[in-house]
Amino acid sequence: MQKLIEHFDEYQMVDNNRHNYIRYRLGRIKHYYWLKNRKNKDVKLLDEYDDFIIKNLNPGKTCVFGCAGYYLDEWIKDLTVVEQWPIVKTFYPEAHIIKDRKDLYHNFQCSFDNFIVTNSRSDHWVSLEGLTEHIKNYSQTIKDNGLLFYSFRDTQIIGWNRLKTDQQKFFTNWAKNIYNETGMYCVWEDICFVDRSNPFAMDENPDTTNGNIKFIFSKNKQSHSVRL
Amino acid sequence: MKTKIVKNSSLYKWSRNFKRIQDRFYKNQYKLKRIQQIETFIKQGKFQKVYHIKQTRLDLDIPTVDNIIDCDLVLVTHQGYSRFSCKGIIRWIEGLINNNKNLYFCLNRHYLNIDNSNIGLELDDDYEKAIVQWLKLSLPDYTVKELSNRYVDKGKHFTWSVPDKHFYICKN
Repeated sequence: MQKLIEHFDEYQMVDNNRHNYIRYRLGRIKHYYWLKNRKNKDVKLLDEYDDFIIKNLNPGKTCVFGCAGYYLDEWIKDLTVVEQWPIVKTFYPEAHIIKDRKDLYHNFQCSFDNFIVTNSRSDHWVSLEGLTEHIKNYSQTIKDNGLLFYSFRDTQIIGWNRLKTDQQKFFTNWAKNIYNETGMYCVWEDICFVDRSNPFAMDENPDTTNGNIKFIFSKNKQSHSVRL
Repeated sequence: MKTKIVKNSSLYKWSRNFKRIQDRFYKNQYKLKRIQQIETFIKQGKFQKVYHIKQTRLDLDIPTVDNIIDCDLVLVTHQGYSRFSCKGIIRWIEGLINNNKNLYFCLNRHYLNIDNSNIGLELDDDYEKAIVQWLKLSLPDYTVKELSNRYVDKGKHFTWSVPDKHFYICKN
């Protein structure tokens, strides 16, 4: 009989470039745009949320972390791409690879005017406290008045009871109350859930690519005019 | 260069083959415990005609039938059924059981109550206990037997290959 497995780490996985690329690719779905855009020199794809972010960027330096954001270098000047998977270097040599979010400050100090984390798999599978810890690390590298564009899916956050919690309030309250720990004020939110007027519909919450829960945080500034 | 703005949509295309991709992470040397559990349940329960509603290919070793009318057990591993509204899940189960079917239902805990509706039941704060309570309180005229193990899922339990919360549901 085959050995039984219940958890990713129970047995040794394959470790080669192909395997690492597949695992990276499975978790970084916006890599699709990079694959598409490198083949078409004339027309480049951008999704609506990317367009929204680009319209709202502060002038200056932008970091995109852990979400295959290298395809954005066509539109964002002075873009720094940071990833945690060394495999990224093989197809995007300009990427900075770090092991831990704590290395962000060590590498970049407080230098970014914008910071983007779009539905990053490596940010997930933590509770809201875990997300706050991530944001603390991002905040250290963001200048005053700098913006953090942060989005994720409700389905990938743990440590809460989906049957008892008003999810809208749960995520909004979290975002509105992380200033003391992170220095980041929530200045915009967009939280969407599916409409189940048909109780047997199967579609996912909207925007599985970018996440159905989107925030803009501003460093040490309580308000910001957002262009929709 | 011209920019084409496309709608935010799902770029995720691997759901049917996700388990096979994950199997290759381990050179196909291992078998998921949840797969073994389903197969053992069916074998020990002497079910001979299983109607399997699936999305991800699981390569189960079970006796299946092509028509739900002919089956003695309905097995649901399709993740989409966890994305019904909670009321929808209960109504769907009732409809099935009332047609004299037994059900082995695999639910993905991370999808439940996807539309953020008010369940209207007093449930335990512990999410895993609350899932069992919700099913039992909502299906008082049926036997609901939980078959899952308890653990904190931090994304490394193959839940998107085989949903994690398993229940056997039949008439009392």
